[in-house]
Amino acid sequence: MPLPKRIWQWFTRTRVGRSIFRIGLPESNLERSQVMVSSFLLHVQPAKVNRHSLRASYSLGLGLILLYLFLILIVTGVLLMFYYVPSTEKAYDIMKDLQYVVSAGLVIRNMHRWAAHLMVLFVLLHMCRVFYTGAYKRPREFNWVIGVGLFLLTLGLSFTGYLLPWDQLAFWAITVGTNIAGYAPVIGPKLKYLLLGGNVVGQEALTRFYALHVIVLPTAALFMVAIHLWRVRKDGGLSRPDEPGDIVQQIELKQLPTNKTYGLMELARGTTPQVGKNPEDEVFAWPHLVFRELLLFLLVMAVVLFLAIFWNAPLEELANPIHPPNPAKAPWYFLGLQELVSYSAFWGGVVVPGLLVTALMLLPYMDRQRKGVGRWFARERAVANTIFSVCLVIAIALTVIGTLFRGPNWGWVVPWKQPPAITEGH
Amino acid sequence: MNDLSVRKFYGWFTALGLLVGILVVVGYYRDEYREWKEYQRKFIQEEIRRASTPQQRALAESTPVQIRQILLPDLNRVDRCTTCHLAVEDPSYGGYPQPLAYHPLHEQHPFERFGCTICHRGQGRATTTTDAHGDVPHWDHPMLPLQYIQASCGQCHEAADNPAAPELARGQQVFEDSGCRGCHKLNGVGGVLGPELDKVGARRSPEWLKKHFLAPASVTPGSAMPPQKFSETNLDAIILFMLSQTGESAPGYYASMKVIPSASEGQRLFEQKGCIGCHSIGDKGGKVGPALDDVGLRRPPEWMMQHFRDPQTVSSGTVMPRFGFTETEARALTDFLLHLRDQKVALSLPSLMSPVERGREVFRKYGCAGCHGADAKGGVPNSNAKTAEQVPGLIYVADGYTKDELKMRILKGQREIPALDAKRPPPPLYMSAWAGIIKDSELDDLAAYLFSLKPKEENPGF
Amino acid sequence: MNHSPSENKSEVSRRSFFQLTLGWLASTFAVAASAAGAVRFLVPNVLYEPSLRFKAGKPDDYPDGSVTFMEAERVFLVRQGNTFRCLSAICTHLGCTVNRADHGYHCPCHGSVFDDQGAVKSGPAPRGLEWFQVTLSKDNRLLVDKNQRVAADKYLIL
Repeated sequence: MPLPKRIWQWFTRTRVGRSIFRIGLPESNLERSQVMVSSFLLHVQPAKVNRHSLRASYSLGLGLILLYLFLILIVTGVLLMFYYVPSTEKAYDIMKDLQYVVSAGLVIRNMHRWAAHLMVLFVLLHMCRVFYTGAYKRPREFNWVIGVGLFLLTLGLSFTGYLLPWDQLAFWAITVGTNIAGYAPVIGPKLKYLLLGGNVVGQEALTRFYALHVIVLPTAALFMVAIHLWRVRKDGGLSRPDEPGDIVQQIELKQLPTNKTYGLMELARGTTPQVGKNPEDEVFAWPHLVFRELLLFLLVMAVVLFLAIFWNAPLEELANPIHPPNPAKAPWYFLGLQELVSYSAFWGGVVVPGLLVTALMLLPYMDRQRKGVGRWFARERAVANTIFSVCLVIAIALTVIGTLFRGPNWGWVVPWKQPPAITEGH
Repeated sequence: MNDLSVRKFYGWFTALGLLVGILVVVGYYRDEYREWKEYQRKFIQEEIRRASTPQQRALAESTPVQIRQILLPDLNRVDRCTTCHLAVEDPSYGGYPQPLAYHPLHEQHPFERFGCTICHRGQGRATTTTDAHGDVPHWDHPMLPLQYIQASCGQCHEAADNPAAPELARGQQVFEDSGCRGCHKLNGVGGVLGPELDKVGARRSPEWLKKHFLAPASVTPGSAMPPQKFSETNLDAIILFMLSQTGESAPGYYASMKVIPSASEGQRLFEQKGCIGCHSIGDKGGKVGPALDDVGLRRPPEWMMQHFRDPQTVSSGTVMPRFGFTETEARALTDFLLHLRDQKVALSLPSLMSPVERGREVFRKYGCAGCHGADAKGGVPNSNAKTAEQVPGLIYVADGYTKDELKMRILKGQREIPALDAKRPPPPLYMSAWAGIIKDSELDDLAAYLFSLKPKEENPGF
Repeated sequence: MNHSPSENKSEVSRRSFFQLTLGWLASTFAVAASAAGAVRFLVPNVLYEPSLRFKAGKPDDYPDGSVTFMEAERVFLVRQGNTFRCLSAICTHLGCTVNRADHGYHCPCHGSVFDDQGAVKSGPAPRGLEWFQVTLSKDNRLLVDKNQRVAADKYLIL
């Protein structure tokens, strides 16, 4: 038995160890089930999972990657909070201090920034995966809606965090972003006023964005993530091709049996995971799921660390309301939106995004096709997949245009002939 | 269940675990081994080598390796230059290679009060050579090349007053002589054709400024500014003067130290306090108090200082009031009086000049020469202007205007300049309106001066 | 682990043994090192407070026999003849700033009285006022180092 395992096994058999870890290192199938159910952190997952759910080629582990990125962001974010002050006088200097003077300041700030960008990217990838595998269909409609909510929260977290360094990049990206928000009819200007705590991007905006970024949005996100994972359990685990039809168990409560101890399980209504239906498909979460999860965590850590060590997060000049860079660009995930807005503030900035988000939320309820769940690019879903792909490609194209092909005054530039963003000399 | 066995992943586990471990170690090393620590260790070695007593050696060996900084909250900055420049205060390091060289200590500008970047610019918060010296993207204030260092004196001190910054004084002289104010406002005074210059030193680099003076249109497309013909020295001087206009303001302690007691400061005070009302210089001024022409020969400086502090104590029975001068003001006035023997100083007192002489100063003050030429002779090109494609000279204004018409013309300016050829672009240079900028008395004097320019005629002012 | 009977137990498990051990060692090390790094991150390398080492001006700025209070640094600079000393102005009882009296120092908060050497004469203070090291800097200014406490009879002699 490998040494670390032997050490751990010894520890979990001591009195102190037993008081903390009620089940030690599992050695029997019973213990493998027990350790999942009796552990606070692990009981979010079931004792047994379908082997299909373990296939990396199916889910690509995208949801888990998002969870890990979120965890990294929370840890690095809290560390950064020990230095950062949301003051227009101090914030920028503190960013400089993090880079030059604080031990590991640069690497931790970089980790935070790159994990944030990765999270926005992966939330889009995860949404695509769930769509292409039809995993939003019944009974998982509401979980998809929660997912859309989490998508918007992720964008909100990234956007609010973007302002905090208070450099030119931050200031003008948020100026552009809040202006786009202001285009919404009726509520737009009010929303912008509420977000900024005034009419300009200044100290009030910084304070509010900070409050949103460190407590309001993360709490909302944690709450939604909890529900999201809960629903995964309640909807029968990850979607897969050979799921049985929904089984609604109605328990007639004429008389509560007094001799069983299932407790809540008897009273709960709705679908329950069909454990035990196809025993050869079910495997113990410990170790099959848990070990894969550990590996994925190490991979995510390695990638984030690698990016953080070798590439620095940007920090431009101190925010200067008098000197906008030309062009002033929103964060990359809003550049497609900014491109649309350049054609029409109302149609591009309000109608199209508004319709998109609404369509996303209503999608599972509009989709009548019951088949095609649990497989990538199922033939039966060709129409839906095509429509989605077209929208995706357009969104990517708009973003690419906004990033590479737009220069001063939002005019056309050819990126290999001329740098797309030109800031003024002073 | 074997194909699902986690055993096939053990290799991955090892690889990823090692990868993360290695990355953490790499991150640690990059963070721990910093450039400045190397410089500090070299310095400590040098100090140990030079130690001549055991106490000195012990002191050197116990020097901690840490970031050193000078906190300057009133100047809104933090300077960490001394993290590498460890011997700036030690004269025995004179001649050592940087960063261990000695910096001649300016008695009036101790480093712990002023830091480094207020004079040298650069990025004080940085702790690597390249970043601290500031010639990096996204930092607008790289270190000032040493040849322009006197520009920094001009941020606090009056250019003309500072004996330690002769190039700065020369730069201001060139600025006034060339009439730049005719188009550019500086400190609220000047024309509106070009941008204000109050913060130009913070925004533009020496290279940009040089190109700007030699060929304005090359750095500012479409500029109407004519290329300037400066000698090499004057060009450097005026670049230096421009670099001194940074808009920096320093509160409290620093503001109180701004004034250098000098003869020109004394002259300013002399005018401001109205001493000429009671005392005379030459044949001008009041008769209540004694004439001041040769007071520098009659009274020692200490007597004059005490006299300014409290006249009664040195001239009992005098009617001269106690003005409440600060020590600096008293020293400046004393300096001025000591120099009164120098004719130029006396004659440059505005209260002693004739209207024409004052008018010449007004002409200089508002930069009229920038467009109308030195001595108002014209010659500055203004393409497509009906007036021979030049800004007109002013020698013959007395023939074309009455004094009141001339004054009105100056106050109103002229926005539309008649063009030679309507098909070509309009003339780029026009006349600013000076109403609200030029004072009434100055306007009278200016008119007197301009009228006096007509040759072969008696000067009307005398 | 579920071993299938068809596998060669010893061969596979020896490799697994090394892989797992190495993997766990490396991962545990990475986590521990990251935690240590996070803690080191939290330790400040620079302070935005007035520095504990500061210059107190030129020796000649202080008249013979003077006791000069320096407000921001909360110390007294004492000159006698050619000796210079620096006394902490922070009462050792509960941290109030003491005042100079005709001889010695009085604390206005709870009445502690200290003599000219900083020793406690009366009052609740548990020990005497601290003396700090005074040296001469390379540019001939008095250099006070509040990091270094010295005995009452150690002064800078010029």
